Amino acid sequence: MKRRIDHQSQATAGPRVWAGIEELSDDPRLRALIEAEYPAVLELPTTARRQFLKLMGASFALAGLTGCEKSSFVAALPYVDQPANETIGLPRYYATAVLLDGYAQPVISTTHAGRPTKLDGNPDHPVTRGRSDVFMQSAVLQLYDPDRAAAPSRHGEPVNWSDVESAMGTMRENWRADQGDRVRLLLGPTTSPTLLRQIDAFRKQFPKARVHLHTTTGLEAGRQITTAVYGQAVDLHYELANCDVVVGFDEDFLGPGPDQVRNAFGWSQARRRFGDRPGNLLFMAESVPSATGALAHQRLIADARRMPALVEALASALGVAGATKPELAEAEAGWIERAADACKEKIGRSLFVSGLSGGIATALWVARINQQLGNGGETLKLTASLAGPSETGTLAALVSDINAGHVTSLIVLDCNPAYTGPGELELGAAIARVRSSLHIGLQRDETGEKCEWQLPLAHALESWSDAKAVDGTATILQPVISPFYDVKTAHQIFAMLLGETDPSSDAAVRETWRQNFGDAFEVRWRQALHDGFVEGAAPFVTVPPAADATAPPGTAGDLDIVFQPDPTIWDGRFANVGWLQELPKTLTTVTWSNVIAVSPALAKRLAAANGDHAEVAIGKRRINGPLWVMPGQADNTVALYLGYGRTRAGRVGDGLGYDAYQVRPDAEPWLTQGSLRKLDTRDDLPVTQLHHRMEGFDFAREVSPTQVKEASGHPSIDQASLYAKWPSAKNAWGMVIDLDSCIGCNACVAACTAENNVPVVGADQVRAGREMHWLRIARYYTGDIAEPRSFFEPVPCMHCEDAPCEMGCPVHATTHSPEGVNQMVYNRCIGTRTCSSYCPYKVRRFNFYDYRAPADSPTHAAHNPDVTVRSRGVMEKCTYCTQRIEAAHVAADKENRPIRDGEVVTACQQACPTKAIVFGDVNDPTSEVARLKRDGRHYVLLEEQGTRPRTTYLARWREDETESRRR
Amino acid sequence: MRLFLIGGLSLVGGSVVAVVGFARSAYMTETDIRPQQPVPFSHRHHAGELGIDCRYCHSNVEMGPRAGLPPTETCMTCHSEIWSNAAMLEPVRESLARNTPIQWTRVAKLPDYVFFRHDIHIAKGVGCESCHGRIDQMALTYRAKAFTMEFCIDCHRDPAPRLRLPDHITDMAWRPTANARKEGEAIAAHEGIRFGELTHCYVCHR
Repeated sequence: MKRRIDHQSQATAGPRVWAGIEELSDDPRLRALIEAEYPAVLELPTTARRQFLKLMGASFALAGLTGCEKSSFVAALPYVDQPANETIGLPRYYATAVLLDGYAQPVISTTHAGRPTKLDGNPDHPVTRGRSDVFMQSAVLQLYDPDRAAAPSRHGEPVNWSDVESAMGTMRENWRADQGDRVRLLLGPTTSPTLLRQIDAFRKQFPKARVHLHTTTGLEAGRQITTAVYGQAVDLHYELANCDVVVGFDEDFLGPGPDQVRNAFGWSQARRRFGDRPGNLLFMAESVPSATGALAHQRLIADARRMPALVEALASALGVAGATKPELAEAEAGWIERAADACKEKIGRSLFVSGLSGGIATALWVARINQQLGNGGETLKLTASLAGPSETGTLAALVSDINAGHVTSLIVLDCNPAYTGPGELELGAAIARVRSSLHIGLQRDETGEKCEWQLPLAHALESWSDAKAVDGTATILQPVISPFYDVKTAHQIFAMLLGETDPSSDAAVRETWRQNFGDAFEVRWRQALHDGFVEGAAPFVTVPPAADATAPPGTAGDLDIVFQPDPTIWDGRFANVGWLQELPKTLTTVTWSNVIAVSPALAKRLAAANGDHAEVAIGKRRINGPLWVMPGQADNTVALYLGYGRTRAGRVGDGLGYDAYQVRPDAEPWLTQGSLRKLDTRDDLPVTQLHHRMEGFDFAREVSPTQVKEASGHPSIDQASLYAKWPSAKNAWGMVIDLDSCIGCNACVAACTAENNVPVVGADQVRAGREMHWLRIARYYTGDIAEPRSFFEPVPCMHCEDAPCEMGCPVHATTHSPEGVNQMVYNRCIGTRTCSSYCPYKVRRFNFYDYRAPADSPTHAAHNPDVTVRSRGVMEKCTYCTQRIEAAHVAADKENRPIRDGEVVTACQQACPTKAIVFGDVNDPTSEVARLKRDGRHYVLLEEQGTRPRTTYLARWREDETESRRR
Repeated sequence: MRLFLIGGLSLVGGSVVAVVGFARSAYMTETDIRPQQPVPFSHRHHAGELGIDCRYCHSNVEMGPRAGLPPTETCMTCHSEIWSNAAMLEPVRESLARNTPIQWTRVAKLPDYVFFRHDIHIAKGVGCESCHGRIDQMALTYRAKAFTMEFCIDCHRDPAPRLRLPDHITDMAWRPTANARKEGEAIAAHEGIRFGELTHCYVCHR
């Protein structure tokens, strides 16, 4: 039973599919990796076998002992006074929001006996519409982070809040003497009307105090760009649902960020506009491959510096006044010609977008083209900048003030400048120099450590607060759990700074909304809490781009260095959230580390491979980290990812990766120049892309409208089987995953982790191929390494009707339900792993260790009580969220009616921002899933295996035009 | 040699019987144990002699997975009026005064990997007594039936003869008639019981 991978190239008629560059070079290490069911077994030398068996013997003995359960006579604690409407054992749902970059991400929190266990987008909210991203899904684990600051401290010694209050009293007296001339406030972006009101009140009390804004992920840069382009700071809102053509320049609008969910939803709506062909076209010019670029039907690879020239060339092709045609390479000219052709007829139906690294120059031409094509107000809407505070100073100004000795008090609220500040500003040292400094944050982090006082902040899920979503709709945040540490909300601490004693947690927020709601306050307040938002998005404004604006010329240098926030831990604030650390990052599938992404050409020049260390030098500053050869990256562009290299994140996030902030220049935070040198050391990166490989070909398929048309009327042949057809109950559960809509965002994987108590195993175990995710987003490439096409393919358990795993299990631990669900019974499993070796889709996961957190860890509170927490030695896998199926059965059976279509929603389906996953009853011909199974793009993964899977796919659309050009 | 074989076989057979017997013994299934409770609460008195309906205290039982133990407030609806000074009820009054729960010891407990729901069983015609026994005759509460998998699955395989009409759910004295199967099948048909689907693993284990 030797497993082979090379037969795919002979057997397939389509283009060769590859998952990683190791495969292209036919690396013998990879071959060995693939031949082993679980790679780590390989690393055991033969002499270790005896030792291994001995250990196994010992664990069998122990396993016997754990079988003896402790006495079942445990304590039962009823309520003293049971709350009205509380049904013991059933969750309750509350509308609130969590925050990302100061923006509200409106959620519905599932709360079991007073503890939130799961967050999902608020289905009524115009931005989330019930959909999520990875940060929203993981916020609940951040709440239970054992490394959060639990009590206020001074120089690291615990104090109590009355000490803080009296110290603030003294500070206020000092400030009053010179009207706050020596006070500085440093904060991250916020959209909270209450906090902005409190900051104004603070400014009024101490008129000479100055406020500085510190943003890590581009709010300031975005404001600078829009101020230069439109003459005022505005927020751009893409109406992707209205677009026929989108042209992007280094803008990952479907990538992570506060508006990912909104953009992804609009994108998928446009994409599905027609049943028989793709609904829109995407032209992307990009230096570093992004999720958005992976979906483009015409992708141009160009260095980050080329963007202004490219967009000007396109402007000239579209007849924008003042645009001159620069010199272009052949590929560039072709791309521009095709993009211009596609846009010409589309007045008000196209959209041009540019990213932060393109700077003012790119944004200026993009705005002018949008103006020329009548996109303003149609596909591109503007609002006044939502996040505040306004009229703020910069970080550099603050540092020079501190160094000049002008600052005696510094208040840092909800940001971590000692870590996220550009290295050259030496913020940590500057903060330490301030006589009295206050850090208000979730953790005693790098900044909290440097400050005199550290005041622990309540998590959004424990707070009364308010914030606005990206469209300007406000949400009033209500606590869904009472704080279990000695923490206060930002509003309480600010009220203390304003001179109040022991402010209540909701007074400030009520005050703000009392002004807003007027007489009907109580009614509207209750309504807003119930709905999770206050009706009314920000009004749109119409501002034409400035005609005479010019951009500063860029400098030329060795390599373009681009900075990007990390796709899973963002700017570093989520570093201590294990769920996010273990999510394979989009495109690289690296976990637990960041990388220095380079092009295949540059890697060849350096003779470097994945994991080799390299030193990046920008100006006088240097860092070193592991390299990643990114297929499809522009030759002379290097990407650095923010968020790693933390030292005070906690036990999960410390000491991972490299700290890109160290080399980030203050003046050019998104695109700069630098050089790269390969070092002799290397890292073994925890990468998942080559794990759980399937045998076969044509995993992720593409079809053109013509192919679909030709194939219609030829139903696929039902493969013969020696087994009798599985008798079906009334409901037959099945799933369809639309590859055309998948943007590889990982929201489904994060949601599955949260719903099904999937453990975090750590970097070493991931290296050993033992990650436990029940759902993987496989990433495939086709074509040349320099210019590949990329595919995302979510692969959960297929729930095969003729499931090989069920035939393999010696103890019937995996069986089939009458509804077609492949069931896994943990208590029967003896851990032979035969099922996994029989599984052609490689979706089964084995608990090599007891991955549960220590008994006293607060993270246990995040567990879903409706799902077993698995122990060591058992197999597990996707269950189609059976707890949700059974809950729907109970609800329907109690009312004596059938389950309605859409009543059972799996966690992955619920989270997916593009509705790429559809689940339901395939026996019901009117259900959505049954309808999709009749679609022309429908195909079965590894159909030749004859497993008759219930999870099937819709192929990605390919443009007919592209195909003809390709030939 | 033959003696040896017979001896060996009977030893093996005997051990199997012993192990199975031990696993099903009252010691292992913890039936008939009356654990110490903070208040010696008598179901015989409350449910049997006074005839208080089960759902007066276990009010959650028709709505959710758990029957629920009554909150202290429920005890005090009566005991603020009668026996309001009884020494025996001191823990109840203390619970109310200090706002701390009464620490009962659970009697009917299923393993963590069993996801049982009271509401659906009651809705489909399973009586309280079917699993909990003659609670109305228990001075101190104990587990009357061994909650083994066999106990559950016997009924899941063949629910019909054990079903009763809705007005008999809390009736402790209800006994199946000679015609139980026929009556049960009528109830099952009316309630839409999914015969054959109730024995698959995910119904109870997740």
